[in-house]
Amino acid sequence: MTAEKTINKKKKIAKNKKTVMDEKKKKETKKTMVAESKTEQKKKKIVTEEENRGITVFPILLDEKEPGEHKKIRQKINKILKNRFLPPAIIDKIIAKVAGDKRLEEKLEIIIDKTWAEYSKNLIDPTEACGMVSAQSIGEPGTQMTMRTFHYAGVAEINVTLGLPRLIEIVDARSTPSTPMMNIYLKDEYRVNPELAKEIANQIEITKLIDVADIEMDLTNMIIYIKLNKKTIEKKGLKADDILESIKSIRKIDAKLEKDVIKVTLDEPGYKNLQTINEMLKNLKIKGIDGIKRVIIRKEPNEGYVIYSEGSNFKKVLEIEGVDPYRTTTNDIHAVAKELGIEAARNMIIQEAYNTLLEQGLNVDMRHIMLVADVMTADGTVRAIGRHGVSGEKSSVLSRAAFEITVNHLLLASQRGEKDDLNGVAENIIVGQPINLGTGAVELIMKHSKRMGETTSAEKE
Amino acid sequence: MRYTRFEKARIIGARALQLSMGAPSTLAKIPKDIVDPVEIAMLEFKEGAIPITVRREDKIGRVV
Repeated sequence: MTAEKTINKKKKIAKNKKTVMDEKKKKETKKTMVAESKTEQKKKKIVTEEENRGITVFPILLDEKEPGEHKKIRQKINKILKNRFLPPAIIDKIIAKVAGDKRLEEKLEIIIDKTWAEYSKNLIDPTEACGMVSAQSIGEPGTQMTMRTFHYAGVAEINVTLGLPRLIEIVDARSTPSTPMMNIYLKDEYRVNPELAKEIANQIEITKLIDVADIEMDLTNMIIYIKLNKKTIEKKGLKADDILESIKSIRKIDAKLEKDVIKVTLDEPGYKNLQTINEMLKNLKIKGIDGIKRVIIRKEPNEGYVIYSEGSNFKKVLEIEGVDPYRTTTNDIHAVAKELGIEAARNMIIQEAYNTLLEQGLNVDMRHIMLVADVMTADGTVRAIGRHGVSGEKSSVLSRAAFEITVNHLLLASQRGEKDDLNGVAENIIVGQPINLGTGAVELIMKHSKRMGETTSAEKE
Repeated sequence: MRYTRFEKARIIGARALQLSMGAPSTLAKIPKDIVDPVEIAMLEFKEGAIPITVRREDKIGRVV
């Protein structure tokens, strides 16, 4: 229910913005300031009045880039629709089909009317228990998911958690996925040129000292020799001096470069010290981004080079030049929420959950998953479904008490003097009332008889 | 005004209860073989003869 309300709110805000924008455009054409403010006031009044009466106003949206023919059809459709609503996606489909077909264009009115009738037929009734339907629609196919997870994704070399474990991970809103992964898309030149793509990959992939050099301990002289591997260093786009610099960042040691060998001596010689320094050197990060273990560059059709990475560090990767921040994705939902905002996180939840189910051959309607994602992100943060998230944080005492640890919740609530408005399902069942859904939400009133000369508002309609 | 399936169910249910407790039907003629109050109520609903309607509220709580 809360999710529904927020969606409605969002729609309303978006609508308001659009109308405001329309006003601004009209504003520019007006010459005098006085006339401007007057018309603006008038417009605002009309909008608010119409909204007050509950009439939805759908502004005609026009895309600048759209070809002229499509634009004409769109305007025609908007004219036919008047105050009726059709989703933009459906209108786009109709336009694509009708454009360039004179016979279809003549029948546009019939087409739109029939589409609208079909669309209205499929709309869900108010007070329908849509959450329940969603829960079952996701839950039932969930039972059919193979318990054994196949670690497989588009790139054969990278293992990704899939199936039931991944789905649980998504709805539990784990802070880090068990197999973090990123699809890094590149900007114009970078995605066509393999050299540039490789350069970015090198910047992203973490490179440790052990990857580019052989480390040898000389126990008698208490010296560590680091034999740099010239070929790999060149491949990674590194220089021996850079490596020397990063080695010097370790405290209490001294390093010197002699040809291809770096000699490391300790300030306080000792066997134990040597061992710890040796370990530190092995794991020393020379280049790359923390958290990204491995990258794979692949050439995709119609796209060019794409980098797939094992491990994820959304923030740092987006900052790299050449990475397309608009398309790059990660399966770390919390990172998306933090960097791109809650709406992006909602979209990620939808995408991830839908693809995980689809991977197993389970076709769950997108709208069920969208509802889940909406509930999870309704309050602006990503919350889990279940005791640690949505269910545990309900505002109603009775609802929480009905869910888990009944006595604790009731005790705490009585201490705090909490109030319960009996809005939810569980609360109303506890007190023995009809619930506020379906037939329980209908409020009956008597119609007054026509013979008595009175008509109710209901009859007027 | 079009009723949702829930509203339809409630209206017919409420009317059937009235009929079962002896209320006279609003229909002039009811086929002889129809005895069940629910069926009569459905017949009445079809004709638009039930003197009951619903009160709807919009999302902010105003009566529409």
